[in-house]
Amino acid sequence: MRLPRVLRTASFRLAATYTSLFAGSVAVLGAFVLWTTRSALEQQMTSRIEAEAALLEAEFRSGGADRLVAAVHERSRGAHALDYRVQDPGGRQVAGDLPAAESGWSEVSTTGRSAGETDDGERVRVLARRLPDGTLLAVGEDTGRIEEATEAISFALWWALGLTLALGIAGGLVLSSGFLRRVDGIARTADAIVDGDFEKRIPERGTQDDLDRLARTLNRMLDRIGELMIGMRQVSNAAAHELRTPLARLRQQLETALAESQPASGVELALQRAIAETDGILDTFTALLRIAQIESGTRRAGFRLIDLGNVADTIIEAFAAPVEDQGKTLRGSIAAGARIRGDRDLLTQLLANLVENASRHTPSGTHIEVGLVATPTGARLWVADDGPGVPAEEHERIFDRFHRLDRAREGVGLGLSLVKAIADLHGAEIRVEDNDPGLRVCVDFGGAHS
Amino acid sequence: MKILIIEDDAATAAYVANGLKQVGHRVDHAPDVRGGLVLAVGHTYDVMIVDRMLAGLDGLGIVKTIRGTGVKTPVLFLTALGGIEERVAGLEAGGDDYLVKPFAFSELLARIDALARRPPMATVETVLRVADLEMDVVKRTVTRARRRIDLQPREFRLLEYLMRNAGRVVTRTMLLENVWEFHFDPKTNIVETHISRLRAKVDRGQGAELIQTVRGSGYMLRAPA
Repeated sequence: MRLPRVLRTASFRLAATYTSLFAGSVAVLGAFVLWTTRSALEQQMTSRIEAEAALLEAEFRSGGADRLVAAVHERSRGAHALDYRVQDPGGRQVAGDLPAAESGWSEVSTTGRSAGETDDGERVRVLARRLPDGTLLAVGEDTGRIEEATEAISFALWWALGLTLALGIAGGLVLSSGFLRRVDGIARTADAIVDGDFEKRIPERGTQDDLDRLARTLNRMLDRIGELMIGMRQVSNAAAHELRTPLARLRQQLETALAESQPASGVELALQRAIAETDGILDTFTALLRIAQIESGTRRAGFRLIDLGNVADTIIEAFAAPVEDQGKTLRGSIAAGARIRGDRDLLTQLLANLVENASRHTPSGTHIEVGLVATPTGARLWVADDGPGVPAEEHERIFDRFHRLDRAREGVGLGLSLVKAIADLHGAEIRVEDNDPGLRVCVDFGGAHS
Repeated sequence: MKILIIEDDAATAAYVANGLKQVGHRVDHAPDVRGGLVLAVGHTYDVMIVDRMLAGLDGLGIVKTIRGTGVKTPVLFLTALGGIEERVAGLEAGGDDYLVKPFAFSELLARIDALARRPPMATVETVLRVADLEMDVVKRTVTRARRRIDLQPREFRLLEYLMRNAGRVVTRTMLLENVWEFHFDPKTNIVETHISRLRAKVDRGQGAELIQTVRGSGYMLRAPA
């Protein structure tokens, strides 16, 4: 079972641990308070009973049993009356209503002593003393007050414990959701960077706390990575650019030489081949520079609302005939109304490259389908074939620069890298799927970035 | 034809100038911005070839300045940059066509030809004729020797482009850009396939072939001599 995210945060776990430790302390403290209160109350009760017994004993000494009985009657009516029993040497009860008790301290239970007090089994603490003439004097006090007091205190303590736990958990939730928000902020930033928005930075609050310091450190790291990436890109772009100029001159010289060569001679053939090779190299540099240019993201400024159905129709119409000449079919399953913001020229090239890829790597008799549907957030475009397909472990790598499944084939593997760069520019997700049989490349224009 | 080249790379300038002279054009070359402006404003040319990246001033700036003085000479931009923004910016600045370095010389020649003979604005013909081939651009009909030919919309555009440039070489790239609006180089032989299908409709069973292949350059539609 998965806990809600807020309960799985480190800060919530910390808060929960701290709360349970604190609640444990509250419980121990409460037990101690309860125990000391109870023993203090019992101590007071003992003293009161002993004092009362001493007082009544003094009455007996000054006036005998009659004086004692009179005193008991009088004290029973008093405001702070305890419970009493006077028993003559014959064992007959002559005053008070306590039940019979042995000499010394004991605890007895009484039945209701007066009308209205119906609850029986009330515990009474009793001190009984045998007086010199054999009379038994017993003085007792109901322990109910102590029970009530301890009950009230333990009730308060349980509440305190409950509130401690509740407030601790609530506080933990508040703290962790604040923490979680900031961690989420960092995660969102990281995701945006993964998605290609290299300018994104983690928000800093300027509070100098540990999360803020972490954010600042991460931002510095991102800045540094960004500088390195720009440096790398500039170097590779400059290299491609610098090499283009001498290659262009080489091509010019070859063409000049070709113009002056003997028609249909071996030299002419060699020069034509050399020009074709040079064109191949130049094509590669052009494609690399184009990918770099697309990845720089500057094209986004020119995005317009594009009817993808129109783009797809143009491509199908242009490629159907050459594909048919190769003994394959190209057909469309194009839904109307799929519009996205984008660059028409680049989207045309994306689809053209996907169709060319499908037709180049499949045998005669293959059916190629271009599909388009509108989705709630944008559009889904796909090119599927029923050819031999691509092993699943290669699916992710087919977009890598210069990656070719079949090394023996002609051409450099940049067409699909270009497709990926164009899809990324449009914030589209690109997936390679098994078409069972064959391959299906699916481009989801989500609309999130565009 | 009288052609002005504004190009600071001496090797490219010599290559272009020599090539153009060989086919009979007269060529002036300015190696920098100032010389280019002086020549462009002071003389009359049929076509100007301007490098997009010149030391000192962007080639765009030159063309804007030249256009500002009322000179309407067609301008072909040369560039080492193949980006589409570059092309759009060049056309917006007043350029008429755009060629990415390096280029085959035949490509340059074909484009200069097309630019120089571009009809003046607002006099676009609506009925095109080459030999016994006739196209009514408004009614969207094509006939060869009075027999009607049914064409797909794209085939119609392809034939229209060939007919408007009748007698001149049009390259594969020019067709991709103008007929399909593809500003990239597909590895598939789209142009070849569509030309051969168009030929089957226009030329098959006719005495003379109007659509001709110019080896190493492109295609040309012209009346048989």
